[in-house]
Amino acid sequence: MKQMHAILAALRGLLRQTGATLGLGFLGLIVLIAVFADLLPLDPLGQDFLRTLEGPSRDYWFGTDELGRDILSRVVFGARTSLVTAAGAVTIAALIGVPMGLIGGFFGGWRDAVLMRLVDVMMALPAILFAMALIAVFGRSQGAALLAVGITGIPGFARIVRAQVLTLRKRDFVVAVEAFGGTASYNMFRTILPNSWSQILVQVVVLSSVAILLEAALAFLGVGVPPPTPSWGEMLRTGKSYLHEAPYYAVLPGIVLTLTILAFDSIGRGLSRLIENPRDAALQGSLK
Amino acid sequence: MIAFIGRRILQLIPVLLIASVGIWAMLYAVPGGPIGVIVGENATPESIEAARREFGLDRPVAVQYADWLINAVRGDLGASIHSREPVFDLIMDRLPATLQLAVAATIVALVLGIPVAVISAMYPGGWADRILSGWSALALGVPTFWLGILLILWFAVDLRWLPSVSQHVAIWADPAVALRNLILPAITLGVYVSGVIARFLRASLVTELNADYVRTVRSKGLTEGAIMRLHVLPNALLPFITIVGLMMASFIGGAVVTEAVFTYPGLGRLLIQAINTRDYPLIQGCIVVILVIYVLINLTVDILYAYVDPRIEYA
Repeated sequence: MKQMHAILAALRGLLRQTGATLGLGFLGLIVLIAVFADLLPLDPLGQDFLRTLEGPSRDYWFGTDELGRDILSRVVFGARTSLVTAAGAVTIAALIGVPMGLIGGFFGGWRDAVLMRLVDVMMALPAILFAMALIAVFGRSQGAALLAVGITGIPGFARIVRAQVLTLRKRDFVVAVEAFGGTASYNMFRTILPNSWSQILVQVVVLSSVAILLEAALAFLGVGVPPPTPSWGEMLRTGKSYLHEAPYYAVLPGIVLTLTILAFDSIGRGLSRLIENPRDAALQGSLK
Repeated sequence: MIAFIGRRILQLIPVLLIASVGIWAMLYAVPGGPIGVIVGENATPESIEAARREFGLDRPVAVQYADWLINAVRGDLGASIHSREPVFDLIMDRLPATLQLAVAATIVALVLGIPVAVISAMYPGGWADRILSGWSALALGVPTFWLGILLILWFAVDLRWLPSVSQHVAIWADPAVALRNLILPAITLGVYVSGVIARFLRASLVTELNADYVRTVRSKGLTEGAIMRLHVLPNALLPFITIVGLMMASFIGGAVVTEAVFTYPGLGRLLIQAINTRDYPLIQGCIVVILVIYVLINLTVDILYAYVDPRIEYA
């Protein structure tokens, strides 16, 4: 329940900021479109060889691609690929990273040393290289892209949660639970974790934008979600080959991708502003 | 100082060792192993056995790793499966192109990023600050590869001023041609990095502008411009050096993508080609070299930081 409360409070705080409100609005639209894509009169795979690489028209609002497929449909279904990859990746990163940070910060000592060295190593490699290396091993599939992006997000969660645990560890309410005989796991998951939700939420938003960018970048490099599944990065990759014949092909999916990333970014910055300036009169009481 | 440098180098060893095990073990996590790629799909048990012996895969795992590591330290990263050329030579062939791109992009990033940070920090909350903060958000949010595509569309397809495919020409061989080939990739990569610079440097400048010494020099009658140039900027650049280390990861990632956009013959393109052809020794080699460059830059940044800031003790 505490998570729900934190999310609702954050939402109220965000809606008082223009940038974050715009971000939430655009993102809401993209999520709606991705969820209800099947109900729309769209066909991302149907080919029309008589009408390839056409410009925007009444029949095809965003034009057609090299196989005569409707680019608008592919952008809409690409949103689904993007959001599913991001959601899956963030879940993987949080499920592994949060316990790592909790255990490292709570126990300290050798557990902390081992876990943080692991985090150091993961951070020693740029995320995109790490993801490419994993895909080189697992082969190219949506699952591999999701897993690769997710693993690169683990250090972020581990570090943020660990820092939060370290500041809470010696606080009276945590020591009190310990004094009353609360077990370490009770203390970690029931006392400390609920007080870290706002930080975790910010990380979820930040990582979502990174995940969408990374998924698109991998697809653009030709190692992401394999065709014919529509993906924004893949569309930019193909569109790049037809810049002379069909300039809009690489431009329109890029606009949607950029706006989605900017939306997550503005929400993330809005949330951090809420946490950093709790005294700000306009935002008072909206987030702990 | 020497003890400090020595200790920082020692700290790197465990990280590099774990990473090297990871990179080496990559080969063994591949379904079917690297042998599957070498012998192809219709291999007989005999040819598989022969290939295993040729690549030394029939020896104990620990021996194989030790062997690989010792060779790698000596600069022998094995041979490419496809071209059979030494991986080290293939990489050294491409490295100058990537370094030239990196230097050019850094110049673009500094030229764009520092003025943006200075102006928005001098008038915090004002219209210039709002516009420039929006600009740095845009620089960070627009995917590098899309910005590259837009630049190609505009400057190569529309205006026909610059090539859409960039060759590597050494800057000292033919500066004019080298610049023509370098401008678009350098802007593509540099704009993103300038966003990082602008955001962090602005924060650092704002903190410094509120320091007591600024009030003192202001009361002595110095102009705002002189305060910024002589006092605030040098002080703010100090913490900023550490940001350079953090920036390197996104810089390298951005370079890989930028090279793909402009079909630029650098290390990043070599890595992508290696992944697409499942050339595992080449993949390992590229990642090892990039990792070593990354670690060395971070080490240099740490040492530089300790050197320029006398408040840091290296005892």
